Amino acid sequence: MSYKGGSETGQSNVTASAVISFAEKLEAESSRFYKALAERFEEKCKEIFPFFAEESDRNKKLITRTYQETISDALEACFSFESMNMNDYTFQTALTQETNLLEALYMAIELEEKAGKFYLDVAERSKSLLATIPHAFRKVAEKRNNRKIRLESLLESRSRRS
Amino acid sequence: MTILEEPIKEVLTLRNYIGGQWVESKGELVDVVNPATCKLIARVPISTREEVDAAVEAAKEAFPDWRRTPPLARARCLFRLKELMEERFEELSRIQTMEHGKTIDESRGETRRGIENVEVPAGIPSLMMGYNLEDIAAGIDEYVIRQPLGVFGIIAPFNFPFMVPLWYAPYAVATGNCIVIKPSPHVPVSQVKLAELLDEAGFPPGVWNVVHGGATVASRMLEHPDIEGICFVGSTAVGRDIIYKKCGETGKRVIAQCGAKNFLLVMPDADIERTMAACMTSFYGNTGQRCLSGANLAVVGEGLSEQEYNTFYKRVVDAFVDAALKIRVGYGLDESVHIGPLQSKDRKERVLGFIKKGIEDGANLRLDGRDIQVVGDWPHTCFLNPTVFTDVTPDMTIGREEIFGPVASIMRARRFDEAVEMIHSNPYGNAASIFTSSGKWAREFQYRVQCGNIGINIGIAAPMAFFPFSGMKDSFFGTLHGQGGEAVRFFTESKVVIQRWF
Repeated sequence: MSYKGGSETGQSNVTASAVISFAEKLEAESSRFYKALAERFEEKCKEIFPFFAEESDRNKKLITRTYQETISDALEACFSFESMNMNDYTFQTALTQETNLLEALYMAIELEEKAGKFYLDVAERSKSLLATIPHAFRKVAEKRNNRKIRLESLLESRSRRS
Repeated sequence: MTILEEPIKEVLTLRNYIGGQWVESKGELVDVVNPATCKLIARVPISTREEVDAAVEAAKEAFPDWRRTPPLARARCLFRLKELMEERFEELSRIQTMEHGKTIDESRGETRRGIENVEVPAGIPSLMMGYNLEDIAAGIDEYVIRQPLGVFGIIAPFNFPFMVPLWYAPYAVATGNCIVIKPSPHVPVSQVKLAELLDEAGFPPGVWNVVHGGATVASRMLEHPDIEGICFVGSTAVGRDIIYKKCGETGKRVIAQCGAKNFLLVMPDADIERTMAACMTSFYGNTGQRCLSGANLAVVGEGLSEQEYNTFYKRVVDAFVDAALKIRVGYGLDESVHIGPLQSKDRKERVLGFIKKGIEDGANLRLDGRDIQVVGDWPHTCFLNPTVFTDVTPDMTIGREEIFGPVASIMRARRFDEAVEMIHSNPYGNAASIFTSSGKWAREFQYRVQCGNIGINIGIAAPMAFFPFSGMKDSFFGTLHGQGGEAVRFFTESKVVIQRWF
């Protein structure tokens, strides 16, 4: 008996290229989001939001450079990211005119949660590739987690004031 | 489905690069087609013998000054070339996908490998050093110096259009030689894009030349009296019977890296899950168009009873087929796909011929890749899905001959010795891998198997740039290999000097 070849377009076995592209978009969108917050809430959070935007720009360069320096035709890059559903990491960063600081902080915290989970998941799945790749992902995961902590602290202090 | 932007937006008319100038060829123009979309992306000339002569003359003219350029200065050109390649990394990669069909990950991997072969010879001041001994007799010293020879020719294959010329070219020019490269006319664009960087990198005119074409160009390079050596990658039929033979007749140095039929052994103690990921890349990566591709998977039953072996064999086959079924086939610039099309319709027809032969010879067609399922709305002209045959024997055509496509042949080998004998009975000797948790079997494998590139729990035993790309039997003709220190030796002569001062 012969089986049919090929497969449906599914959500498992995401390629390395797709993962890296998602990471690049995630950081680019994060940077854009925090720059918008920095402009809108300049007086209230002038240190934190510009710093996060700049850090996202650096994260993007780190991920891209690490991937380009270590991708090789002989590594199993096409088949490494098993059982990943990119829909698990979607996030909301669209601001309306009415969005206040507390609402923006909630959005930012959710963004950091999703981003941190994404980076930890890909770090775990890329263990079979060169060590620099999971290391880069874990490093960015840690940064995003630190952001979440700072944002939660800011949210708490703002909530008490209001 | 995310399709990355194509960097080639209009049909390019390619020219030769001779003496630092882009020169329009007098030869007929032939089409370069994106095998995924079937769209024309470039036209490339089939150059004339006279154009080869012009390139060799330019190289010969550049040689005396280039040869006198200090190695450190030559290395700095390579450092600058590397920087430029990094800046254009993504563009160079996407071009390879468009001309060849491989996925963007595979192209980026190829670009990286190419850059690594620029990085290694950038250390030429150390790599090219000779050696010496004082007082071989009283007051007499002896030493060896390495000197370049002149002009070398590089005849490139279609399957790695960007990387393979870089197994040789950077070493040749780093050591002070000048080169003429003939890219494959099916995939010439990435070499043109690379040549566009040479002037900015600081290479003087004539050091690095590119002449497009086919057999006429290759023949003229083989017979040209001013070419000192030839580097070739391609089929054994051409490599052994034409290139190696002609170089022998004319006294040229030669590296001819040729065909393959690579065995991957799976021992009973292998980590099956990780083995399958490695196997998928090995058998189907680059759509099987690789001299290091896995071709035959030998399931070894060492130490197992008959019943245990049948269970193990079934487990491996089922795992292999399950993994192959998950492979998505489509346009290589689509980030969701795992493999692209074959490079041309002719190549696909050839592979289909092998599949038909496999069925005729009695192998069991377990997964039929002719049932085309492609992600996206692309013509099926060059696409073929992964195919798996089981119960293949080494004497069957599909078990013996190089297919160069996404076809895996799974074989039974009751004992380790039987598997090694299967490998040795095949005329090729390019690569072989073993998947095992046992140091004993791994050591036994690397010690006994007569193949040049050995993998232990590695599906594609691709040497890094600082190692030679080995090969044996009908897979390699020559003495020294491309890449690394052997390439430095290939492109230089050892001159022995004995000196005494009165």
